[in-house]
Parts: sequence; C-alpha cells; structure tokens
Amino acid sequence: MISRQSLIVARWEFLRFFKWKQQLVSYLLMLAVIAAIALWSFFTDESQQQYRIAVPQELQITNTEQFQFQRPGIALETQLMQMQSDGSWHAVISLNEGQLVVHTLTGKKWLQQLDEVLQKHYRHLAAQQMGLDAAQLLALEQPVEIETRYLDQAYKGKDTPEKMIAIGALILLFVGLSTAFGQVLVSITGEKQQRVTEQLYAIVTPQQWMDGKVLGHSFSALKAMLTSALVMLLSFAVVSLFAKKAVDLSWLDISVVLWLVPFALLGVVLCASFMGAIAASIDDPNNSGKSAVMMITWLPMILTFIVIDSPAGMGMTLLSFIPLTSFAAMPVKMAMVTVPWWQPLLSLLLLLATVYWMRRVAGRVFLRGMQMYGKEPSWGDIVRWALSNKAD
Amino acid sequence: MQLIVTAINKAYSSVQAVKNVSFHINSGEIFALLGPNGAGKSSIIRMLVGMTKPDSGSIMISYQDQHYDHVPRRLLGYLPEDRGLYPDKSIEKNLLYLAQLHGLSKSKALTEMAYWLDVFELTTRRHDELKQLSKGNQQKVQLIAAVLHQPALVILDEPFSGLDPINQEKVVLFLQQLKAKGMTVILSAHQMAMVEKLADHMLLMAQGQVVLAGTLQQIQQQSQNQRQMKVGFSSEINMAQLEQLDVIVSVQQLQARHYLLTLAEQAKVSDCLKQLLQYGELTQVEMQSADLHQLYLAAMARHQPEAAA
Repeated sequence: MISRQSLIVARWEFLRFFKWKQQLVSYLLMLAVIAAIALWSFFTDESQQQYRIAVPQELQITNTEQFQFQRPGIALETQLMQMQSDGSWHAVISLNEGQLVVHTLTGKKWLQQLDEVLQKHYRHLAAQQMGLDAAQLLALEQPVEIETRYLDQAYKGKDTPEKMIAIGALILLFVGLSTAFGQVLVSITGEKQQRVTEQLYAIVTPQQWMDGKVLGHSFSALKAMLTSALVMLLSFAVVSLFAKKAVDLSWLDISVVLWLVPFALLGVVLCASFMGAIAASIDDPNNSGKSAVMMITWLPMILTFIVIDSPAGMGMTLLSFIPLTSFAAMPVKMAMVTVPWWQPLLSLLLLLATVYWMRRVAGRVFLRGMQMYGKEPSWGDIVRWALSNKAD
Repeated sequence: MQLIVTAINKAYSSVQAVKNVSFHINSGEIFALLGPNGAGKSSIIRMLVGMTKPDSGSIMISYQDQHYDHVPRRLLGYLPEDRGLYPDKSIEKNLLYLAQLHGLSKSKALTEMAYWLDVFELTTRRHDELKQLSKGNQQKVQLIAAVLHQPALVILDEPFSGLDPINQEKVVLFLQQLKAKGMTVILSAHQMAMVEKLADHMLLMAQGQVVLAGTLQQIQQQSQNQRQMKVGFSSEINMAQLEQLDVIVSVQQLQARHYLLTLAEQAKVSDCLKQLLQYGELTQVEMQSADLHQLYLAAMARHQPEAAA
C-alpha cells in the first residue's frame, strides 16, 4: 500500500523535473523540424518536375510524365551549347558507336530516374528483337512471388502492423527508461549531495521515501513515453500531409496497445526501483562507477529486439516469463503471436511480485547506505541487504 | 513528554563513539549536548532520531500516556548537522513540501510558515529560491523546517554554526520561543555563552563519555574543586614558575601581570597566597566561579589533554 507521504514525495519528484514550458517548446521545435524536413523534401522532390531531354532522331523513346524526349534535329554541339547557355535542355543524349551517352550540367537525383526509363526502353527493344510480346516481357519483369505458409495458427505473420507497434513499444520503453535513468540518478545522489536526505529521514521512512521517488520518476518516464508517442503520431500525420496522403491509423491495434500499458507501467516501476537501489548506494556520483550499472535496465529491450523475428521461439518464450525482461518481451510476443490468456496474466503476476521485492530492496539499500555515513557500500553489502529481510 | 536514555553504547568499526551514556529530559526543557568534535554528540543525536540503533542500552520516550522504545517521527523536529534543502526551489515550496510530509494541511502549513518567516524576518523573501539566500538565512529556513509542524521534541545539531553573533542571538530567541510553546529541545553546540543562556540541563562529553552533567549550577558545584583565582602582580613574573607550584593546576595569562589560576583540589587559598607572595607584590586577588566555557575547557583538559591544548 502506498502511503500518503510516498504520494507527496512522488508528486514533488514528478513536478521537480516537469518544466512544462521548456518541454512544450522542445516538442513544438521537434514538430517544426519534422515539418521543415517534410517541406524541404516536398519542394526538392525532383520526381515532381518535368525535364526536357534532347535525343537523337533514331531513338524512338516514349515520353513519360517526368521526361519529355525531343528530337531537335540540330548538331550535338549546338544542343550542348544551348543546354549551357539558355537551359533549353536538362540533358542531351547521343549515340557513340552504339553506346548511349548522357550529357548534363551536373549530378542530379533525377538522372537515376532517367537511367531507369532508358533501361526499360532498351529492355523493350531487346524483347521485340527476340520476338517477345508485351505480356511475355511483363512476365519476365515480374519478380518471383514466394509465399511462406505458417502452420502455427498463432503466428500473425512477419511484417504485420502489430510488429510495428511492438517495435514502437520497445523504442518508447527506451525513451521512458532513459528519462528515468537520468532523473533517478540526479534526484537521489543530488539530494545526498545537497544534504537533504538526513532531514527527510526524520520525516518519512526510507521505504516511503523510496516508494515516492520510484513512483514520481515512473510517472515522469510514462509521461515521456506518452508525449513521445504523441510526437511520433503527429510526425506521422505531418509526413502524411506533405505526402498528400490521408492520415491512416487503421494499423494501430487498440487491443495490442491496451496490453502494452500494464507491462510498460510495471516495467518502468521495476527499472526505476532498480535504478533507485543503485543510486541510493552511490555516495558521490563523480567518484562512483556504479551509475553505469543502471544501464542494465536497457538490456531487456535489446534482448527482445534480437529475437523479435522468432516470436514463438524458445528465446522469446523465456524472456516473456522472466520478470526482469517480461515487460519488454511479452507485449512484443503478444503483438506477433496469439498467446493463451494465462500467459500474459502469469507473466504480469510474476512481474508484479518482482516489482514489490525490488522496491523493498531499494528501500533497504537506501537505509543501509545512509547508515554508512560517507562510505560507499560494496556490491557484497548490496547483495546481502537485498537478500536480508530486515526493514531497518 | 519525557525522554529517558539509559546506558547507550555505539561503536563504528573499531571506534567506540558512545560509551555508556545515560540522561533524561523532561517536557519543555532545553537540553544541551556539549563536547569537542568527535565527542559522540552527533552519534547520540542519530540514535535519538532513529537513523542508527544503540548497540546496547535503551531510549524510552513517554508522550501523552504512551510509551515508546524509540522517538516516533511524528513527535520529532530535526535539524541535522549535515543540512541542506532544495536550492532551486523557493523558501515557500521547500517549507510547504516538508510541512505536508509532516502531515500538515496546506492552509495550516501556510499559517505556521507565515508566523515563523515573520519571526526570522524572511516574509518578503518567501518566493526567493533558496540558493539566492545567504548561508545564515538558509539556516533560518532550515530551523523553520524543523519546527513548522510543532513537534513535541526538537533536536538541533549545531544550530549556531555558521551564524554571525546577531543571528546567533536570534536563534537564542527562537529557542526560547520553542520552550515557551512547550516544545522540548535537544541541541548540540560549541557556543558556550549561548548554551549558558538557554540550557536547563546539559551533558558535557569527551571521547564518547559523559564528563559533566546537570544544570549549570550543578555543574559548577561538581567543579568546585576547579576553583579559580584572578591575581595581579605589581611586576612581571615568570609564568613557568607559577605552574610549578603544587597548589596550582594551570595558569592562564589574562593581560600584562594578570593571571587566572586554577587551584589544585586540596589547596588552601591562604597557602596559595603565601606562595604567590614569594614572587612579588599582589595588586589584585579575586576568587571567581568558572563560567561554562572555563568549565568546559577544564573538563576537556582533564579528559582529553591534547584536545584542550
């Protein structure tokens, strides 16, 4: 049960790092940058423009929307002079002993597209010379379709929208845990250095204090995840807008998202508790190597990502039940394969029990660390406290 | 409220920080823990606050017919020796946060805060960030934080340290107000003149042990054998010669040809005067009772000669 004091600490910690004006400005800036990139791409998109290409009389190539092939009937040198002097042509094509030569002023992206059009034209010519009709040529150009049929009915397929959601969730967990990492470290070690800790100890129990810290920074992490998700969706909308496409969010499967929430919530609380325990054992962050250990909390996402293409494999199954990794692995697995109802439930219960244990460990480490007065506990001390049952 | 500490001991690794210390404090008293650095004052305070537990002995507190084997947090207001608050937050936010953690409603906290800020003349600065305040003003805020919730027992570790004489006097007035409000105060300090004005009872410690205990009067009586005599000579004399007299324990030069002599336990004043007259004509002879500072130094000289030196 979370005490009133823990909630006050949580609120304080959450608001302490919540600079809403700065955050709003940074999000608006991020959106403006995305909009500027989209706008720049739109205005510099060479495929939207038309190009005049001078070709020899004998090259009977068909015009496309992008390329207008004209046969000026003047000498190549004159064409090249025109291209240089008044920009009559974007490119001039000549034939030199059966080889096609493209003359142009400088390197441009549309030259690749011109190259493709010319390649296609010559393939058609070759096909006609071999006596192939249009249908035969088309058949040759088509890639071979290979269909994989999965006998396991639970597997939803390789490149489904659910996989995108799963990867999105992993990215958001990274964002959340990175936020928590910085804040927990600064908050706990900063309080020690500002000498607030002893004062607080006389008011709240170490467990209440640690619960408040963990909750406050978990809320911060969740807020970062939520706002990042919103920025991702907004960016998607902005890009769609410039691409002149309707904003399509049909791929967003709400049932998958709903399962993500409790796992993400408990995962963040678990990691914040772990970070809290490590930070509480650090006496001086400038002279301690322990803060790097807090990055272990990124491991579940990395391990899950490695096995993301085998969602029904042994690796993913193992990760989805181990409480230290399940918050990342189980939602990914659920997004990609249908699992029996008891599996996520069991995984959640194991995770919940681990969260409870970890917060107790964090509280104990904080208390014992305080009692050591300036001496940093060893890893042996921390393990011993973690395994001990004593609250004070 | 009554606090009874019985035979507590505390060791850190091989260092015995507190040795068999006992005392009791009654409701509304100001109790001073005195002693040099490393005497064990902060170790006792940390045990009272509950941050550490005694290796042996007991701490009992009675409050409103309830008996506890530790000081409950709700009864406690604490100013730690290592102190600090949140420098980037305003005075008001800092105090409101701590008051709410103590269980005060926002309105009650604001009322109490207004009272104490007025006492310390900080009302106009309530919205200033703590880092904008002088060290002395920050300390005042910290003192307010310790008493905002009107605790039954206030423990102040070195409340005078870092303050100029004017602010030290303000803290004296503050402590007298706490006493007037019925709060019990335990403080540790080096400033003997302040303690003398304030403390009902005091405990003088050295190397973890109690050296002297009681009221100022009781301590002076306990130190009767530490009689002091102020003497003046008509001409300069050799201080080393005075120190060699068996009737004198120590000699302190006050000004030219004037000395403060601490007499030996069994020495008679008449014998002392006879011996002093061998060195010259006396222009001044005055017996005086030692003040707390002198008692403190004398006690330290007995128990910790190298520290007193």
